[in-house]
Amino acid sequence: MADFTEELEPLFDYSRVQPLNLICLDDDEPSASPPKKRNKASNSAVEKVDDDSANVVVIEEEEDWLRPPPKVSKKLGDDSVLKALRLQKKELASLAESAENVVRAVEESVRKELSSLQSSSDAAAAQPPKPQVERNKVVISIQDKDGVKQFRIYMDDKFERLFKMYADKVKLDLQSLVFSFDGEKIGPAATPEALGMEDNDIIEVRATSNKKGVSSTKGTR
Amino acid sequence: MSGGIARGRLAEERKSWRKNHPHGFVAKPETLPDGTVNLMVWHCTIPGKTGTDWEGGYFPLTLHFSEDYPSKPPKCKFPANFFHPNVYPSGTVCLSILNEDSGWRPAITVKQILVGIQDLLDQPNPSDPAQTEGYHLFIQDSTEYKRRVRQQAKQYPPLV
Repeated sequence: MADFTEELEPLFDYSRVQPLNLICLDDDEPSASPPKKRNKASNSAVEKVDDDSANVVVIEEEEDWLRPPPKVSKKLGDDSVLKALRLQKKELASLAESAENVVRAVEESVRKELSSLQSSSDAAAAQPPKPQVERNKVVISIQDKDGVKQFRIYMDDKFERLFKMYADKVKLDLQSLVFSFDGEKIGPAATPEALGMEDNDIIEVRATSNKKGVSSTKGTR
Repeated sequence: MSGGIARGRLAEERKSWRKNHPHGFVAKPETLPDGTVNLMVWHCTIPGKTGTDWEGGYFPLTLHFSEDYPSKPPKCKFPANFFHPNVYPSGTVCLSILNEDSGWRPAITVKQILVGIQDLLDQPNPSDPAQTEGYHLFIQDSTEYKRRVRQQAKQYPPLV
């Protein structure tokens, strides 16, 4: 019988069960605490259960007169985020504007150059600043017995210009200097590009006395 | 397998050499007739030290690397019959740091090899002779030895 009652117990275990049945169950098992809880639940919350399940939102909105402060704070938080977003948007917009300005400036400069090119071909030949953008530069080291000097030249620049710069710098006659890369003499018409040179490649320079060089070098020897 | 290690190291050595090497030295992997580069053989030039009887000479040296490099040192060769007490008649240089069983270490760079051989030119090691002529003149007739050294330096003028 006890088994039956235990099995039956859940069958009657409904929150909306009539108080009469609950009382009967209490009589059968005086020590059982769940029925009491059910009692409490049924007494206080039978109607509320329905309300909670169906009208949760409505109740909260109607009852929560005290909640506006947190809502305000939430709004403030939203506002700060919104402000940050608006600021970012403004920044992006200004960036876009500046980019547009740059593009316009470039377009204008190109137009000006084009017009100048069309107007005077001589002027175009005289001012080659535009090609600089496309010409690659390379850092070349020139090494003599005293040390290394570095020069930055264009990849397609003929070496004669660099050699003259170097000769002026060390105050030696260009004719008395021999320049070599990887053991091979560099002609004045060669370019870094043609020799496959990279940044910091070393050109060796050697002063000779057998060529018709400076008279002073001949005098010393 | 080990060839990959050797070539990788040699590529690094070459890269480092291009950016920094002692004045007057040349070291470059050989270029085959078809234009490809053979990293296993390097053609080098060692200048004679200034202030010595070797000054003015630019001595050609060939480095032959094996697949076991850098575990094993390269074979370094001057032209055959090069005049020096520590150079074999074949031209192979006899130097402790180039001996696998003696002073070679895998960390030794091409630059250190070439500078080491330049040092050896003017400072022969009489306890380890590799040719009779150079050795005998060095210990018996220093005047003739010096004359031969200066003569040889003139035989190898700068190529450029």
